[in-house]
Amino acid sequence: MVSRVQAVRAAARMTMKIFFADPQWIIPAIIAPFIFTLVALLLFRNETGPLLLYAVLGGGLMGMWGTTVYGSGTSITFDRFNGTMEATLAAPVPLMWIIGGRVAWNTFIGVINGGIILVIGTLWFRTGISIANPLAFTFATVVTYVSLSSFGLMLATVYVLTRQGGFIMNSLEVPVYIATGTMFPVALLPLATQPVAFILGPTWGIEAIRKAAIAGYTGLATSYWTDIGILAIETAAYFAISFYLFGRVERLAKRNGTLEEY
Amino acid sequence: MQEAGEGSSAVDVKDLRREYVTRSFLKKTTKVTAALDGISLRVARGELFGLIGPNGAGKTTTIKILTTLLSPTSGSAKILDLDINKDMYEIRRRIGIVFGGERGLYNRVTAVENLKYFADLYGVPPSEITGRVKKMIEMVGLEGRENERVEKYSRGMKQRLHIAKALIHDPELVFLDEPTIGLDPGGARDIRNMVRGMKKDGKSIFLTTHNMFEADELCDRVAVISRGKIVALDTPAGLKKSAKDISVIELQTYGADANFVQRIEKIGGVTRVVADLDSERQSIRVQTEFPTEVLPTIVGLAGDVNIIDKSIREPTLEDAYLRLVEE
Amino acid sequence: MDTSTSLRRRVSMAVQVFTSSIGFGRKGTVIWDSPEMIAMQVFLLPLFQISFFAVLAQYLDYSGSAVQYIVVGNALQAMSYSAVFAVANITSTDKWQGTLETLMVTPANRMALFVGRAVFQSGLSALIALGGLFYASELFGVSFAHADVVGVLLVVLVTSVTMMCFGLLISSVGLFLRTAMILANIFLFLTMLVSGVNFPLSTLPGWAQPVGYAIPMTYGTSAIRLAISGASLGGIGSLVADEVLVGAVAIMLGYLTMVGFERLARKTGRFEEY
Ligand SMILES: Nc1ncnc2c1ncn2[C@@H]1O[C@H](COP(=O)(O)OP(=O)(O)OP(=O)(O)O)[C@@H](O)[C@H]1O
Ligand SMILES: [Mg+2]
Repeated sequence: MVSRVQAVRAAARMTMKIFFADPQWIIPAIIAPFIFTLVALLLFRNETGPLLLYAVLGGGLMGMWGTTVYGSGTSITFDRFNGTMEATLAAPVPLMWIIGGRVAWNTFIGVINGGIILVIGTLWFRTGISIANPLAFTFATVVTYVSLSSFGLMLATVYVLTRQGGFIMNSLEVPVYIATGTMFPVALLPLATQPVAFILGPTWGIEAIRKAAIAGYTGLATSYWTDIGILAIETAAYFAISFYLFGRVERLAKRNGTLEEY
Repeated sequence: MQEAGEGSSAVDVKDLRREYVTRSFLKKTTKVTAALDGISLRVARGELFGLIGPNGAGKTTTIKILTTLLSPTSGSAKILDLDINKDMYEIRRRIGIVFGGERGLYNRVTAVENLKYFADLYGVPPSEITGRVKKMIEMVGLEGRENERVEKYSRGMKQRLHIAKALIHDPELVFLDEPTIGLDPGGARDIRNMVRGMKKDGKSIFLTTHNMFEADELCDRVAVISRGKIVALDTPAGLKKSAKDISVIELQTYGADANFVQRIEKIGGVTRVVADLDSERQSIRVQTEFPTEVLPTIVGLAGDVNIIDKSIREPTLEDAYLRLVEE
Repeated sequence: MDTSTSLRRRVSMAVQVFTSSIGFGRKGTVIWDSPEMIAMQVFLLPLFQISFFAVLAQYLDYSGSAVQYIVVGNALQAMSYSAVFAVANITSTDKWQGTLETLMVTPANRMALFVGRAVFQSGLSALIALGGLFYASELFGVSFAHADVVGVLLVVLVTSVTMMCFGLLISSVGLFLRTAMILANIFLFLTMLVSGVNFPLSTLPGWAQPVGYAIPMTYGTSAIRLAISGASLGGIGSLVADEVLVGAVAIMLGYLTMVGFERLARKTGRFEEY
C-alpha cells in the first residue's frame, strides 16, 4: 500500500517537473479550453447579476474539464515522448497508480485553469467574487477535483484500448460541456439526453459549487449535501471502473509491449 | 594512400568542413563542435567505399552532407559530378539513402504502400511502379509480408524495407549509414549480400560502419575517420599491411600480475601490452613487430607465472583501425 | 550529361507527387481515417458544437435571428477541426515517426507534396460543414427556402480549401516547434472567437479585428449567411474573392516558411529535434 501511495506521489511529481521544464505544454492544456470558455462567456456579455457568476463558475468547470480531458491523454502518451515506456511497464506497481499520479497532476492544472477563468471572468464582467459560503465552495471544489481525477483516470484507459483514443477525447470535450450543465441548465436539453447528465460527476460538482457560491441559487431540486453525496458515489464508481479497466490495460500492454494502440 | 582513378567520379570531396553550433538559451552559451575538420576523398564509379570510425567521428555528418541534407561549413563536394549546393534536386533523383533504424518509415501503412509512395516522390514512371515495387520486395526478401503494416515489422524487416525504399528509383549511387547496426548475425549477413548485389548491378556505394569485419569483407577501399579527420585511406589489405608491425601475441596465464606485465612492456620491440588481470585466469595481448623473437623472451621471464596458452596472430583490420583511431 | 530536366517532365512529376500524396496523405498521416471515425466527425462534431452554442443562446433569450446567426456560424466553423487542426498535425506526425527527413531528401516538388497530403482533410472538412448545415436546417430551424444552393456549396468548398491553406501555414510554422499541435489548438479556437462565428467581428476589441480579417473563415461565415438568405453569386462574389485572396496569401507564406525551414535545417542539421 505504501509503495502505491509512493508511486502516485512520484508520478505526480515527475509530471509536474516535466510540465515546468517544457512549458509549451501549458498551451494546449490551458489555452485551448480557455479560449472556448471565453467564447461562451462572451455570449453573456449583455447579462447582469447572479447569472454572470453562474456563467463564470460554469466557465471554471469547463476549464477544469477541458484540461482533464487533455491531461488524461497525455498521461498515457507521456511515455512515448519521454521514451520511458518499458520503464513504466516494468515498475513493480500496478499501472493504475502511476497513471493515477499523472492524472492527479494534470487535473490539478485544470483546477488552476478553472481558477484563472474565474478570476479573469469576474474582473472582466466586473461582478466581483462574492462567494456566499466560502467553506462549502472550497469543499465542493476539492470533491469535484477528486471526481474529475477519477474520471480522467477512467478516460486514460481509452488510449490503450483503442487507437482512436485521441479522437474520442477530442469529441468528448464539448458533449460534456453540454450534458453537465456548465453554461445552461440540463433541463433545456431533450429529455432523452438528460440521464447522461446524471451519471456524469461534473453535473453534481458544478451544482454543489453553484449552490455554495450563489445566494438564492435554485438549480436541480437537490440539496448541497445530496449533490456532494451523489458526486462521492459516482467518484467511487469511476475508481472501481478504472480499477477494472486498468487490469485489462495492463494485460494488453504487457502483451503488446506498448501503452498505446498505435 | 591509394587514389581512385581519374575521370568521372561518384563522390568527390575536397576539404569538407562542418561545424555544429549549439546554443543554450538558459545559460546563454554557444558551443561549436567541429564535426568534420577538412576531409577530402574520391569514390570511383562502381566502387564500394567504406567510411569507418568510432562514435561521433563524423560519419553521419559526412553522409548527410553528401546526400544534400546538410550544408557544409566550407569545402566542396561533387556527387556524380554534380555540385551539392547547386544541383541538389538532380542529385536527390539519382542517389538512394539508407539511414536505417526504426524511424523514417510510415508505420501505419504497409511496405507496398510505403514503396509506392516513395516511387512517386522520386518520379518513377507510373507504369513501372508496380513492377519495381514487386522486384524490390523480392530483392530484400519481404515476400509474403509486404501487405502488413510496417508497425508490425521487426527491426531487421524494417531495415530491409529501408533498403528497398532506397533502391526503388534505381539510383546510380547508394549511401548507407551503418546498415547492419542492431541486426542479428544472420540479418547482417543478408544485408551485406544485398550490398554486394548492388555493386554487381553496377551501382556505386558509400557506406559507413564500425564493424571492421564488415568493412574488410565488403569494401574496395576504406577511409578511417577520427575526430572529423581522415587518418587513413586505403584498401583493406593495404591497411592491414600498414599494421604488420602489430602482430599480436595472445597469452592465457595463471598467476600473472601487474609486475609481470611491466616486465613484458620493457622487452625490446614490444609496442603495446593490453592485459586483463581481474579474473583467475588472465589474458594478455602483446603487440610487436617481431613476434617470433619476443615470444621466447616472455616465456623466459615467466618464472612462477603459468602460461597455459600462447599464440601469434596476424594483424586484423581491427588492430590497424584501433591503432589509427587511438593515436 | 543531361542535368536539366525539361519543364514538361517537371510538371508531370509534380502532378505525380500531388496525386500520390492525396491518397497517401489519408492513409499515412491521418490518424482518424477509419469509416466510423469519419462518420463521427461528419455527424457528431458539428452537432455538439452547434448544440452547445445554440442552446446557450436560447437560454440567454437571444432573438431567433441571433440564434440562427450562431447556428450557421458554428456549422461552418466546425470544419476547422479537420481543416486546421488535422492539417497542421501532418508535419508533427512526420516528426514523430522520423519521416520528415525521409521526405526532405526526396526530389519531390514541395508545393505538390505540401498540398497533396492535405487534400483529404480539406474534403473531409467540406463534408463536416455540410453536416453542420444539415443540422442547422433539420434541428435548429434555419430556413434554406431562399438559399442559393450553388452559392452555399461554393462557400463551403472555398472555405474548406482556404482553411486548409491556413492549416498548412500553421503546419509550416509548427516545423520550427516540437509539435504544431499547440499552434493548431490555439488557432482552432481562435477562429471561433474572431471569425464572426458567434458574434460579429465589430463586437470585438479593435486590436482583435485585424486577426479576424487574416483568417479565411471570417469571410466564409459572412458569405454563407448571405447565400442562405438568398443573395446571388454576384452578391457574395467579393467576399468569396477576398477569402480566396487571404487563402492564397496563407499558402504562399506557408510554402515559403516550409522552404525556409528546409534551408535552415540544412544549415543547423536539425530536422526533428526542436
Ligand atoms: N545536430 C547536431 N548538433 C550538434 N552537434 C552535432 C549534431 N549532429 C552531430 N553532432 C556532433 O558532431 C559530431 C559528429 O557526429 P556524427 O553523428 O557525424 O558522428 P558519427 O560518426 O555518425 O557517430 P556514430 O557512430 O555515433 O553514429 C559528434 O561530436 C556529434 O555530437
Ligand atoms: Mg552516425
